[in-house]
Amino acid sequence: MPARQAIEARARDNRTSTASSDRDPSMPMTAVEKILALRSGRAELRAGEVVEPQPDFVMIHDGVVLSAKRELDQLGIDRLAQPERVMIVTDHEVIYPNARSAERGAANRRAARQWGVGRFYDVGQGGHGHIFPMESGLLLPGMFYFDNDRHSTNAGAIGALGFRMGSEISRVLATGTNWVMVPKTIQLTLTGRARPGVFGRDIGFVIARNLREGGSWGLNPDYRVLEFAGDLDAFDLAQRTALCSSPTEVRAYGTFFPPSAAILAHAKAVAQQPFTPVYPDEQAHYEAKVSLDISSIEPQVALPGGVHRAVDVSEVVGTAVDHAFIGSCGSGHYEDLQLAARALAGRRIAPGVRLLVAPGSERSSRRMLEDGLMKVFIEAGAVMLPAGCGVCNDGVIGPVDGGEVSISTFAGNNNGRLGPKDAKLFLGNPATVAASAVAGRIVDPRTVIDFAH
Amino acid sequence: MNANTKPDPVKAYDWRLRGRAWVLGHEIPHQGGVVPGWIVTGRHMDPAEIIPHLFEETDPGFHTRCRPGDIIVAGRSFGMGPKMNGYLAMQALGLGLVCESMPFLGYRGAIGAGLRVLTDCQGATDECETGDELEVDFDSGMFINHTRGTRREYPPLADSLKEIIALGGNTGWLRQWWAGQQDEGSRDGD
Repeated sequence: MPARQAIEARARDNRTSTASSDRDPSMPMTAVEKILALRSGRAELRAGEVVEPQPDFVMIHDGVVLSAKRELDQLGIDRLAQPERVMIVTDHEVIYPNARSAERGAANRRAARQWGVGRFYDVGQGGHGHIFPMESGLLLPGMFYFDNDRHSTNAGAIGALGFRMGSEISRVLATGTNWVMVPKTIQLTLTGRARPGVFGRDIGFVIARNLREGGSWGLNPDYRVLEFAGDLDAFDLAQRTALCSSPTEVRAYGTFFPPSAAILAHAKAVAQQPFTPVYPDEQAHYEAKVSLDISSIEPQVALPGGVHRAVDVSEVVGTAVDHAFIGSCGSGHYEDLQLAARALAGRRIAPGVRLLVAPGSERSSRRMLEDGLMKVFIEAGAVMLPAGCGVCNDGVIGPVDGGEVSISTFAGNNNGRLGPKDAKLFLGNPATVAASAVAGRIVDPRTVIDFAH
Repeated sequence: MNANTKPDPVKAYDWRLRGRAWVLGHEIPHQGGVVPGWIVTGRHMDPAEIIPHLFEETDPGFHTRCRPGDIIVAGRSFGMGPKMNGYLAMQALGLGLVCESMPFLGYRGAIGAGLRVLTDCQGATDECETGDELEVDFDSGMFINHTRGTRREYPPLADSLKEIIALGGNTGWLRQWWAGQQDEGSRDGD
């Protein structure tokens, strides 16, 4: 409810000038309030206030560099505020699928040169912008960054925040920042232990089903930050990323995981600069607090139409599939590929099924080559794509024909995402997708892999 | 130029629109409702290109019938989706937008397009019907239906966001900002 926030912001704007002395300087804050306060030179900050935070960096992907460059060129703006802090990632169309794409690639290289962009990840470098910066120590706990793309919500997995600016990224590039209305925070406490064979994506689909407007939690997730709480040590970076993905599809603007000791150890090992993790205050004000017992969750499949259309895999077992994909910002870490490989090792994908795989980072591709995982995929008959978004970028590469059935780890499965509106796009965790590609129909991965050992 | 002599763009801006109401229903998405999907996926941002297709799927030829000053009055969850294409067209046509509710990123897109917009206007679609003579002050939130002789007060725009609209949206704001930078640069050079 934007206007209500707007009014609150207005009230606060007015109060700042007239009665700032009545503020309690020790007011507890949520993670997003704290991170934005630190970047906005404020001792405290509340949901609804408007600030212009200073980001640690700015990310823009290969599909939109050209339009931002055109906009700024037309205004005569020939320099960026902090080009050394700008990161261009090439993940949407890594393989130029057409002449227009190749032209855009050339324009991206020109823009990076003319602007003097500090971190330009061209074709075959880096990988998926919402995966590789967390793996390689560019995005670290406590950081804040601006992004043109909404899947910047992934930053929450490592305890950072990434805010989507869409085409307004031009203002960030030119001036270094943009206005942000501090989002409200919903706290979600996870309780219990996941059963063997149940992973982050399964839980993420269930969260989306409950969290969405009209869902069982009775909330409106529009422009909210979902902050995870509870005993979260069992969730590694890949599982956290998977959990951060699906809330985005029901319109959450951000997610946040308090970094565990293991996450901090990873961050310290790879950090390319110093960082300070941020944790929410215990008495922080949340718009709502909800909890989810994950011990009763079965492996899930999201039915065509949206991640929130999650059902137990048993309800769709046997559905014949034509097309499968593993990767995307929801399931692009090395551990996701490792999980899929467990269903593929020593097996072949079913005749008539095509399985495409896009690792999240060049780093993962190399690691897969070194440790033999790549061999498992190739020998199973999978088609390996370069690191990046892969098929999930609206099926620009590897789409389906009308009426075909796909099962994938896409970030989302809105009808028509791959082109034909009557194609059926199911989602599952990486093991479910891989096992289904082998069987030629949707299967419960627990019938193929012994997850207890 | 001395910044103090510049007129305040927010005060100088015409926040009041008077025109006919175009009343729409609830839950009209941006993509596939306000504008056809290909406008969004093709990243078409030129208002001249978008205008002929505004509300094409629900009200073909809308752009030939609306007039500057007219006000679109929409129901709940208007403009689902984060993109600003349709709002760029509305702004270029001189229209205003009053909604019962709007997802935040759609609202942000409308502001980024420089559109005079009000949201959280509860019951607005019951306050008028298409063709009524409306007058809306987007600065104060005053909503007057001259046909019915009724008047409502809706939540106004946040003060901190008015400047963006007054300067013509994200692009206009950047133009003004850049001009200011050039002024500073030339002063530094003196």
